[in-house]
Amino acid sequence: MSIEGAPPTPLRVVLVEDDVAFQEAFRTALAGADDLVVTGVAATAAQARALLSGPPAEVLVVDLGLPDGSGIDVIGEAHGRWPDCAIMVATTFADEHHVIASIEAGASGYLLKDSPLPAIAQDIRILHGGGSPISPRIARQVLMRFRPDERPPAEAAPVDKTGPSLSERETETLQLITRGFSFDEIAELMGVSRNTVLTFVRRIYAKLEVRSKTEAVFEARAHGLL
Amino acid sequence: MASSSDQGRGGIGEGPVGGPWLIWAAGLALALLLAGLALVVQVRAGGERIVLARSSFTDTIGYQAPPPAPPAQASTAGRQVRLPNAPAPEWTPGVEPSPQRIATRVTWYALQVPPLPDDGRQLYLYIPRWKSDGSLAIYADGRLVRQSHANLQWNGSNQPLWIALPRTTVSHPPRILDIRLQHVRGIGGAFSSVWIGTYRQLAPRYYLREIFQVGLPAFSATAFLATGIFGLLVWFGRRDEPIYLLFFAMSAVCFVRMLHTFVGVHPLVVSDAWFGWLTVNSLYWMMIVLHLFAAQLHHARQPRLTFVILANSAAWTIATLPGLLDATLIAWLVYLNIIGLGLVVGVNAAIQSARAGARLAILLSAWCLVTLAAGVYDWALQQNLVNIESVFLTNFTGVGFTLIFWHIMFSRYVEALETATRAKADLARRLAQREAELTLSHARLREIEHRELLHQERQRLMQDMHDGLGSTLVGALRAFESDRAADLDAVGILRGCIDDLKLTIDSMEPVETDLLLLLATLRFRLQPRLEASGVRLTWNAGEIPPLAWLDQRHALHILRILQEAFANVLKHAGAREVALAVLAEGGQVLVRVQDDGRGFDPAGPSTGRGLANQRRRAEAIGGAVRWETGDRGACLVLVLPIEKAGSGAAYSSAPGA
Repeated sequence: MSIEGAPPTPLRVVLVEDDVAFQEAFRTALAGADDLVVTGVAATAAQARALLSGPPAEVLVVDLGLPDGSGIDVIGEAHGRWPDCAIMVATTFADEHHVIASIEAGASGYLLKDSPLPAIAQDIRILHGGGSPISPRIARQVLMRFRPDERPPAEAAPVDKTGPSLSERETETLQLITRGFSFDEIAELMGVSRNTVLTFVRRIYAKLEVRSKTEAVFEARAHGLL
Repeated sequence: MASSSDQGRGGIGEGPVGGPWLIWAAGLALALLLAGLALVVQVRAGGERIVLARSSFTDTIGYQAPPPAPPAQASTAGRQVRLPNAPAPEWTPGVEPSPQRIATRVTWYALQVPPLPDDGRQLYLYIPRWKSDGSLAIYADGRLVRQSHANLQWNGSNQPLWIALPRTTVSHPPRILDIRLQHVRGIGGAFSSVWIGTYRQLAPRYYLREIFQVGLPAFSATAFLATGIFGLLVWFGRRDEPIYLLFFAMSAVCFVRMLHTFVGVHPLVVSDAWFGWLTVNSLYWMMIVLHLFAAQLHHARQPRLTFVILANSAAWTIATLPGLLDATLIAWLVYLNIIGLGLVVGVNAAIQSARAGARLAILLSAWCLVTLAAGVYDWALQQNLVNIESVFLTNFTGVGFTLIFWHIMFSRYVEALETATRAKADLARRLAQREAELTLSHARLREIEHRELLHQERQRLMQDMHDGLGSTLVGALRAFESDRAADLDAVGILRGCIDDLKLTIDSMEPVETDLLLLLATLRFRLQPRLEASGVRLTWNAGEIPPLAWLDQRHALHILRILQEAFANVLKHAGAREVALAVLAEGGQVLVRVQDDGRGFDPAGPSTGRGLANQRRRAEAIGGAVRWETGDRGACLVLVLPIEKAGSGAAYSSAPGA
């Protein structure tokens, strides 16, 4: 999974964003990259849905605050329709609330809107190559969500309810992230490769998504909706 | 009297189920039914009643055993009397109480039995009452068929006699009955009419009288005593409520008093003298207990009256001790005194309880007065002033007392249960009320706290905007305005502003005592700039304990201090490497930012506002900053306490504008 070597066909990238300035910046950033091509831009959720019914893209970048709905819904829908597409949420502050909601909806990373233009293209490549960024606060939030003793025992007992749990290595990775270590440093501390650490993070994101779904099912059952 | 007692019993037995009127009505109906049944039994009963007799007497000294056969002339000698025969007693019978030397008299009654069918059937004698302080022997056709064999004076004379006549192959219905009574001269010697007949004829008469005269008082006295013992046990547990002890005392004296109605057929364990003393004086004791018990109900304190009652009772109790005055012989006088004393106790209790509105005490004192009236009648009966075949009424009023006392204790019990229930409900209500108050005040406090928190947060953010973002933007604005825009790194300034904003946003999320998480956040934010400037960052996050005092307000100060430190490194130091180390050391946490740049003199004139800000921020959170300059580069050390004495100090020392 090489990130440096340019693939024979460029990655198709779709942007869902109502801010024209960022649209421009985004186009500019990708115009400079041979391996990336913007195949669609939607300014509203409705437009995004129209795009989703078309041919799938490799990367989808979604802003959460759309004029006619939430980007979270767009992410959820895209995850269903384009299962192989890497979805990123575009955010200025990467605040844990929005990022975790996006990951639970099916996103596998986020793009900081204030990144320098070359960094935007690089972030897209990294994400498509399987590398998901994760901030210390998000790591901590994930740890707390998976921590069994955070929940009352009666609620925590059945396995089918709480869904997947983190492995020891995954937990360790998250703990090191909360203490400020970078992926390279973590790889060194744990005696694994950087790619392994990236795999851990990807898996953690996947578990977070599954978990949120099983919890939703459980909630629905508890409320007699299912 | 029987009906009233049955009525009362119905009231108690029914308990609190249904209205009081239903209970009383049921009791009345039951009493009427019983009375009707008794009447029917009496009317349908048969047998021959013998009311004519010849009576003669011989004066004697002491008591002798009866002769094997009656004197031959008994049936013809003497004078004709009509049974029941009750000679008027003398007021002062004798002064010699010793059974060996007491002046006695033998009274003979000879009865002519009317001819009965000689069909060999078993015949019975039924004698409703023999009223004699002495011994009894009965002969049928000259042969002894019955004699008293217990004590001389307390020998079951209250109990009706039921004699099965001897029946053999040659026996015939008797023609002559001789009755020998040896009694104290001057009192006793009274005898009722005599019934003769078969079992079917006489048994209803006998058993009816037996039940009301003996069985009922015995049963009621025993049952009263049993509940009295229960009361005594209650009193052992509740010493401050003497009413339970008095209840027991009442049951005990009633039992003693009632003894003479149902014992005495067989020899007693005590002598006549002691038994007489007990029986007669128990009435005084009853008066005392009654008085005290009523006082428990109407709550009036009458020490003088109580003293008089005690003195009067004690005087008679002592005076009639065996060896002093014989209670049996002067019973009439004792009883008269008791009637007087009872009048005092009863009327007083009635007045006091009416004044206090104590319903149960009124009932009790009213019954006391009823008993007094019955007592007058009984006294007349005792003195042979009324038909001796009638019954002693106080036996029934005694049953009534038992029922009333039960009713009183029962009411107290139910009342106590109701009080407990009410108290519980009241407690629950008060608890709920208090809880509601607490919830309200808690909510108010929460609201105040919340408002305070919002206020502080606003203050903090405003201060931060003022010092950081605001001043940077204003500085940039002024520069753009004054043609110096070309000198400015516009992108750098805006990035700095965005970084400021990000850290502000980061500081709003809780860090929950985790300094490392805070530092990690800082790294996450600064990493792109460090990478862009080519400075290598070494991260040495060691183990440190949680900082309990670390809240959002403190977090922002720490972030700003370190942000400034990194900015300085990037701007001025010309460093290639910067290392951040966190370690705990002697009650403090040290955060060191070490670079390999040019170094600087913190005391020098060119240090600017940045260092002063860092110092001020560190002081505001109870920490300190210092700069260490070594051979290579500079080092900022942020010193934070692990524990703070008063976290409130941090708020009061907020940085002033």
